[in-house]
Amino acid sequence: MSLHYGEPQVAIGALFAASAVLLAAAFVLIGIEAGSETSVERVQRVGYWLRKRWLAALLALGVVVVGVSLFDLPYGGGGAAGRTLVKVTGGQFFWSLVPDSVAAGARVRFDVTSIDVNHGFGLYDPRGHLIGSVQAMPGYHNTLDLTLDEPGTYRIRCLELCGVNHSTMEATFQVRSR
Amino acid sequence: MDVTAAPAPSQILHPRAAGFTLQPRAVERRVGLLYAGSGLALVLLMGVLGLLMRLTQATVIGLSPAWFYRLLTLHGAGMITGVLLVMMGALWYVLHPAVPLRVGRMLAAYSLVVAGALCALVATLVGGFGAGWTFLPPLPFYPAGQWSTWSESVFFVGNLLVGAGFTVYCFDVLEQTTGRYGGLARTLGWGFLRGREETAPPPQAIAATVVAIDGLLSMAAGTAIVVGLLGRTYDHTVGVDALVAKNLVYFFGHSIANLVIYLAAGAIYVLIPRYAGRPYETSKVFVAGWAGSLVFIATAYSHHLYMDFVQPTWAQVISEVASYGALVPVAVVTIYSMAMLVWGSRYRWTLASLLLYVGLAGWAIGGIGAVIDSLIPINFRFHNTDWVVAHFHTYLILCVVVWCFAFLAHLLERDADRTVPVAGRVWTVGLILVGGYGLTGTWFLAGVLGVPRRYAIQPPGTAGYSLAGAIFALLLAVGFGSLCLQLVPLARAAWERRHYALVAYTEAWTGSRYLLRVSRPAEEPPAAAETTLRAGLPLASPAQLALGVAACVVGLAAFFPPIVEASETSVRYHHLDHAGQFVLGVALGLVLGSLPAVSRRLGERPAAGLTAVIGAPTLMLLVMVPRFYEPLERHPAEHALYHVAMAMLGLVAGAGATRLGRVSGRLAALLAVGMAVMFAAAMQ
Repeated sequence: MSLHYGEPQVAIGALFAASAVLLAAAFVLIGIEAGSETSVERVQRVGYWLRKRWLAALLALGVVVVGVSLFDLPYGGGGAAGRTLVKVTGGQFFWSLVPDSVAAGARVRFDVTSIDVNHGFGLYDPRGHLIGSVQAMPGYHNTLDLTLDEPGTYRIRCLELCGVNHSTMEATFQVRSR
Repeated sequence: MDVTAAPAPSQILHPRAAGFTLQPRAVERRVGLLYAGSGLALVLLMGVLGLLMRLTQATVIGLSPAWFYRLLTLHGAGMITGVLLVMMGALWYVLHPAVPLRVGRMLAAYSLVVAGALCALVATLVGGFGAGWTFLPPLPFYPAGQWSTWSESVFFVGNLLVGAGFTVYCFDVLEQTTGRYGGLARTLGWGFLRGREETAPPPQAIAATVVAIDGLLSMAAGTAIVVGLLGRTYDHTVGVDALVAKNLVYFFGHSIANLVIYLAAGAIYVLIPRYAGRPYETSKVFVAGWAGSLVFIATAYSHHLYMDFVQPTWAQVISEVASYGALVPVAVVTIYSMAMLVWGSRYRWTLASLLLYVGLAGWAIGGIGAVIDSLIPINFRFHNTDWVVAHFHTYLILCVVVWCFAFLAHLLERDADRTVPVAGRVWTVGLILVGGYGLTGTWFLAGVLGVPRRYAIQPPGTAGYSLAGAIFALLLAVGFGSLCLQLVPLARAAWERRHYALVAYTEAWTGSRYLLRVSRPAEEPPAAAETTLRAGLPLASPAQLALGVAACVVGLAAFFPPIVEASETSVRYHHLDHAGQFVLGVALGLVLGSLPAVSRRLGERPAAGLTAVIGAPTLMLLVMVPRFYEPLERHPAEHALYHVAMAMLGLVAGAGATRLGRVSGRLAALLAVGMAVMFAAAMQ
């Protein structure tokens, strides 16, 4: 199974690319204008006027994006009622998932830990999209709540450097059709 | 400004810059060249390792995973150390004319950092250590047959040495800036911000002070965890709390990587104005921005723990706010202000000034990628993918490394009083930009695709990205190679011009005119006296001394038998009790060393003070390893003596702190205590 672009990731990537192009254009423009002569007073008058608005815009953007993000935190909470518990254990260099399959549409709680070093539990759906991750940390249990609607073979890849075979530490997880 | 050097006319700098640019002293040039030359040599070597890894991922060459991870570890550690060296030198170079930083400290810092880099080389290339430069505990102790105990130890010692070198540097900066400008609040410009003072220190002094404070905080955390891990290497009964250890490792590692760019910011506040012909002066917005950075740099690190769901949610939210917040001063103060300086200035385009300018764009573009990833729901799908590799390489390669070269080019261009031909610099910088953004672009795409980072063997179907990345990496290497070639004739011309002058000569007999190459007499601006600008004692007033005595009384509780017995219930409480004994010693040392009569007897002794505040806490942490103290606990007298020794080490640290002045002394004492507590929290 190969990797594929996930939809949210593509949107984020496009947003970044657009911002980068705009920034690059701004730097080209400033670089061209650097060769001209403008009085310091004029640069400061216009520059400070713009800077106030730039600061306000960044602060407003921060309040909005950080605020919105708080409503979409991935940190599961509450009881496990109605959830299928999947115990995930990472070790050099394997994943153990018990059970290793659930029915489509199941609300799954992955209880993730490690028996040795830190690992990263990265879950890829049957189409090869990375749909989320959580760390497997020795001595701790991280719980990741997801609803898996799409039947098929999900793949787990390690997302934390864990030793020489880090890049081959994989496992699969089945979501059965109802 | 207490500088006596005269402004020098220059063909390189903007004509208007003569009004505010001083001729560098020999010591500034030499320190600058030493740091820039050594650091860049390390950066180039590490860059070659990076290229080898990208070629391996593209399956063009076939490094084994074992060697891939050795090189990965060395690449990270070496690259951070290399750029740190250059930027320490750059900030020192621009700060020294205003603040009398000490050459001895700078050479000590250099020796320690270089020794640390050598340790990393040995540990990885010879010892096979491959746990990554962030050595996330407990991975170093699970080598899977790849490295031995000694290589872990050498790597940890290397980290301690680099940390100690940076600590020496930060203490010198903090002591001298707070001494020069009269206390911490004044040095940070807070009196000016509140309208109580009419002037503020120059931008580079404020930036350096913020870097020094955050640097010292993160080095303390790094020392606490690295000494703990060093102890664990030889004592397998020691447990490591993976979550606390990860917090400390990233507080150390993230901060030092992040501080490099803030060191650089301090330098560009002085360098860019020289080409724009407009001085950059401290404003209230600037002071407020750096006050924000002081907080954000210290709190943003834990975005590395977003996917550790057991980290308290409030800590995650603080980190998210800090990570976004860190953007604001950078975007509104540093990058925006530099753009304003450049706009309409008839900017003098030279190799150095061109690199300085394009570096601003690298910081801005890489920063956007970082801020996007710092939002938790987005990080959920990007954590530890190639997106992370992409954004930090964008601002490290296309800003920090580019500025490292800019600093060296600035030194050489000023000495040579000429730059390189237009075509050469345009081609060179063009190659760097195409290669650099192409390389990071392939990582951004791979991040969108969900490719995990640090994979020796790439997932199926992603070979094309690696191959494209490798091609761009080769272009980048050619660009940097070309840049080095541009610098060679510049260096030669600089050397010539510094040592020789051409003098017109007319022969009396024949009347023929010649140009003679004669040795140039030293034209050294008078050197400023090297002084220690001590600003008072840590506990100066009776009330402060009383507070110190009260801390001693509270610290005595650590010796109270019921508390000592109760602490035996767990290793963590036991270590906490040891920390309490150390706290007593620190408080006692501070009180005694702050008494005027005792202080006079102790004398100035800044070097001894610095050695004490670095050495005593490190020794205290080392002897907190159970293997050392458990044999002593079998005998009551030896046990009691051990506890007294902990207090004595604290006493040495506390008394040493009083030799560093009010601000540095208080911070040193606080950090010594903090290290003991952090160690107790991380080791089980």
